[in-house]
Amino acid sequence: MQSQQGNKFTIPIGPQHPALKEPEHFEFNVDGELVTGASVRLGYVHRGIEKGTENRSFVQSMYLLERVCGICSHVHATAFCLGVERLAEIEAPPRAQAIRVLVAELERIHSHMLWLGVGAHEAGFDTLFMYSWRDRETVLNLLEDITGNRINYSTNVLGGVKCDIDREQAAAIRQGLDFLEERTTHYLDVVTSDMMFLRRTRGVGVMTYDESQRLGAVGPTARASGVARDLRVDAAYAAYDKYPVNLVTETAGDLEARFVVRIKELFESFRVIRAVLDDLPEGDLTTRMPRRVKEGDTISRVEAPRGELFYYIKSNGTDTAERVKVRTPTLPNMASVLTLAVGHQLADMPMILVGIDPCFSCNDRMVSVKGTLDSQCWTWEQLRQYGIEYYR
Amino acid sequence: MKLTTMWKDALGSLIKPAATQRYPFVRREAPEHLRGQLHWDPSACTGCGLCSKDCPADALEVIVLDKKAKRFVMHYHVDRCTFCAQCVASCRQGCLDMESDEWELAALDPRTFDIYYGNEADIASILDGSTEEEAEPAAAG
Repeated sequence: MQSQQGNKFTIPIGPQHPALKEPEHFEFNVDGELVTGASVRLGYVHRGIEKGTENRSFVQSMYLLERVCGICSHVHATAFCLGVERLAEIEAPPRAQAIRVLVAELERIHSHMLWLGVGAHEAGFDTLFMYSWRDRETVLNLLEDITGNRINYSTNVLGGVKCDIDREQAAAIRQGLDFLEERTTHYLDVVTSDMMFLRRTRGVGVMTYDESQRLGAVGPTARASGVARDLRVDAAYAAYDKYPVNLVTETAGDLEARFVVRIKELFESFRVIRAVLDDLPEGDLTTRMPRRVKEGDTISRVEAPRGELFYYIKSNGTDTAERVKVRTPTLPNMASVLTLAVGHQLADMPMILVGIDPCFSCNDRMVSVKGTLDSQCWTWEQLRQYGIEYYR
Repeated sequence: MKLTTMWKDALGSLIKPAATQRYPFVRREAPEHLRGQLHWDPSACTGCGLCSKDCPADALEVIVLDKKAKRFVMHYHVDRCTFCAQCVASCRQGCLDMESDEWELAALDPRTFDIYYGNEADIASILDGSTEEEAEPAAAG
């Protein structure tokens, strides 16, 4: 496709499966094989989840918000629960907080292992993809054993958790972690020594410390550029003050550093889970939660596997939230993709995109700014009719 | 730097059994806490309807026929259920439970997904009523 600007070409990628199996539209300006500019169009998977919470009680909204992300569902529910509990001026019991940390770290393991496989697949290293996903089954089986579900575990309830950890489960988790630790050591060796793989990652997509600060990068993407920022350390929530996390950072800022940071974070997760199992407080799993939540607003921040997850919750004194605002970590990291793309080969684009561990459908929110557009207010029925006519 | 880092994994797998299982010929034993089909024990139910109120998927209806005589029927839409177990947590009487060994719930007939729990005569009376209700608009149309 020839663009308006002389002899430069614009290559559209997506919205059907731009490297990942999720819809998003990118446009790369290329000069030969070199990318000279990039833009993104978000919003193909906007699901109206924030609006949906306005018609649901706090209890029901938690399960809806858990479905913002299929991979890091527990951390969304935890962020919402912590915020609502703060508004209601209650605190979940220590055992419940510890189990929240345990499940969150197991979730981080499965998320990072999934990403390791996806990253390897985009680099053309399908052997690593297959084996890392096979090993990921171990942690999914553990989660299924604890919570009853493989994905969307629904561990939380407002005021605590539903699932307890008994002695047999603790032994099974320790056994699973021993196996995963051995495999993770091997994968760390693979991503730092495999010659072919390093040619796709070393020195590719380098983001300096200053750039990552300027672009507002979060999570492992920022930590790979030397930014010492992790909410589990900086603003410990749930039981992270009792089971402290050691910050993992790298300074290279390239794709290899992002692989190394995430794999080293797996070792931290193994250590934290063992610490929770060694010192799991006795006591209740839930505390009494009022149905009507006091009027007020709060923010709740947690460290999702992809970075900082932000929730704003406003209550008007009823059993339904007046406003819930969610910002997932992919949105601040997206700017780094567009900046880092410039100067790289077109073939590196999938790798640079995957480097931030994007989750497109988590990402999409809609903001209507009054007075800037010819806005219309449609009923659900009008919108449905429009959809039927559009695709007729 | 090495040229091949995963050849040992690949060659080792040649002599190992497959990681996948031959379902449905071989069934993995369900974990003890797996959330399968919901079951309702009417003996202690007070008909408070909290399970239905809290269900995020509108999968539960508690139909109260006579509250004093404790005549309740539970209508469970298993196709809507997300197996979150909020109803189990909400029930103060402990009437609800999810069976770990009932997880093969796929079916071709959609009527299979409408499950009624309760006294058989009460269920029959409700089904008769719902059939008539559905028939009325169809007849008018």
